[in-house]
Amino acid sequence: MRPCGVFDKSYALDIAIIRTWQHWAVLISALVFLYLFPLFGSYYLISFINLLCISIIVVLGLQIVSGFCGQISFGQAAFMAVGAYTSSILTIRYGISFWLALPLSGIMAGAVGIIGGAPSLRIKGMYLAMATIAIHFVVIWVILHMEITGSFKGLYPMPPSIGGFEFDTDERMFYIIVSVVIIMTYAARNLMRSKVGRAFVAIRDNDLAGEVMGVNLYYYKLLAFFISCFYAGVAGSLWAHLITVVNAEQFTLLHALEYVGMLIIGGMGSIPGVFFGVLFIRILNELVMFTSPALAKALPWMGSSPAASLGLIAFGLAMAVFLIFEPRGLAHRWEIFKSSYRLYPFAH
Amino acid sequence: MIEFLQHSITGLMTGSLYALVAAGIVLVYKSTHVVSLAHGQLVAFGALFFWFFLGGLGLPFWAGLIPAFVLTALLGLAIERVALRPLIGQPLLAAFLMTFALFIALEGVFVLYLKGETRTLPHFLPQGNLHVAGISVPINQLIGFCVALLLFGLLSLIFKHTKLGLGMRATAEDHRLAQSTGIVVKTIFSYIWILSGIVAAVAGIATANVMDIYYMLPYIGINGLIVAICGGLDSLAGALIVGLLLGVVENVGAAYLDPLVGGGIKDVAGYAVLLLVLLIRPYGLFGLVKIERI
Repeated sequence: MRPCGVFDKSYALDIAIIRTWQHWAVLISALVFLYLFPLFGSYYLISFINLLCISIIVVLGLQIVSGFCGQISFGQAAFMAVGAYTSSILTIRYGISFWLALPLSGIMAGAVGIIGGAPSLRIKGMYLAMATIAIHFVVIWVILHMEITGSFKGLYPMPPSIGGFEFDTDERMFYIIVSVVIIMTYAARNLMRSKVGRAFVAIRDNDLAGEVMGVNLYYYKLLAFFISCFYAGVAGSLWAHLITVVNAEQFTLLHALEYVGMLIIGGMGSIPGVFFGVLFIRILNELVMFTSPALAKALPWMGSSPAASLGLIAFGLAMAVFLIFEPRGLAHRWEIFKSSYRLYPFAH
Repeated sequence: MIEFLQHSITGLMTGSLYALVAAGIVLVYKSTHVVSLAHGQLVAFGALFFWFFLGGLGLPFWAGLIPAFVLTALLGLAIERVALRPLIGQPLLAAFLMTFALFIALEGVFVLYLKGETRTLPHFLPQGNLHVAGISVPINQLIGFCVALLLFGLLSLIFKHTKLGLGMRATAEDHRLAQSTGIVVKTIFSYIWILSGIVAAVAGIATANVMDIYYMLPYIGINGLIVAICGGLDSLAGALIVGLLLGVVENVGAAYLDPLVGGGIKDVAGYAVLLLVLLIRPYGLFGLVKIERI
């Protein structure tokens, strides 16, 4: 719905993502605030936002393949691992600079994703979800049994640098990661309004009808997997150079499940939903981390460090609650809120 | 040859566990068309309850068995009542995702209780090995194998010859049609989950008989899912046959291929088999062939 008094007088206005000067003002001030944030933000908050942003990139990819194209994928953690390992190997073994390795690792993950997405040509729904779980385990197994990936020891990539300037602290990496998130979000938002995005939505809503209307199912399904895994690969590369340690322990099935959970809580088929979902789960996690020492003291039967398991319980329960009470996710609530304030002073 | 047979027999023993886990998944799918990711957790809790009564409280075998069954069945019932009943009428994918939320939450409870320790069941079955023609089989695993076969026989009897079983099959066919013939679908759902809880308890006890109870135990549910899907989700016989086959493939594959690739075939064989089956016969090896255009 358009805000009160906003009329599309030209085609350019009609297709604009940002349509009012208030929008522009909010956007620009938010960006300025974000880029100035490392100057006054605490170290804790900055590293929190870094991890948040990496998750956002992964879940954006998942949103494209699951939310828009309707192919549930539990393989996102494995594709992220492919990206992380590719980037580490390229920079350590072959001395390629991070700036080239970042897109290359996305392309590599996308290529693996096309293979991983191949079952989607024959199966859908729950069967495809199981196939992607299988792909997750196969990919991780291959990584663990290759010489070049350092097997169980993992790899130690270096932080990126440009002209002698090392991005070796969380504050410095913050700029790279936030910039990548902005580009990726913009790309995803625009892609979903294009021919490709409409084809994805057609496949999700009714694949048969989509095919009748001329959507090439094979091509677009594989394209969805490629794009989704490209996102995961880029996130993996950023992760590798942020943490500077890569091993298979960081990419377990539980991580993949967590990404799907973020998607459900945020709301399928909505780009802002990705942000809500990731933020919700990460804040929930932080809250659990924060309260669990006190809980452990009050309830000794929980043992000394219940944070990890309490986090799982909270996450599972949150997902269950959302599935029952708001299956359309936080994004739907956000839409309701938006249309109600746009109608103000009229009642919604 | 003897070596190959030995590996196959050991594989059969492991395979019977997979089949037992898969039986619970098939049961739930047969009547509700929900694929339960959380079944592995149910299995793990069955094992944990049994350990609690046997190892923790020191009760004798039978006195531990009954409450373990009851508690696991109650857990199954609770899952149906609290989590899945509100989703009736929603798309099936929502129910699938709900079982996945349960997977995570129950995993958390399980890990919270274990606190990173392992629990070992006291020996409640006769130990030792049976030697036949140069092949040795642990007696306790053999008993587990026989229990699995018995359970499958019992389940197929229930499905074929009791009124409850007929009701379950009718529910699987079509909820509305079943209701119009006087079957209360919601009650059938409750019974199914109770039954699946009991089957999970059997599977859990059989598993804990072979290995320790530790935080990875719930992941046997994923092996069970592989078996259930490969067998065709609605076929009990398929679950049994594929379960046994998967055990053999894993074990024989590990014995002969591990030296070539540097180990770990056991961890990946099941997934490779699943991918192959899904690509070639998406409805499973023994399942009802439903042709669906994609």
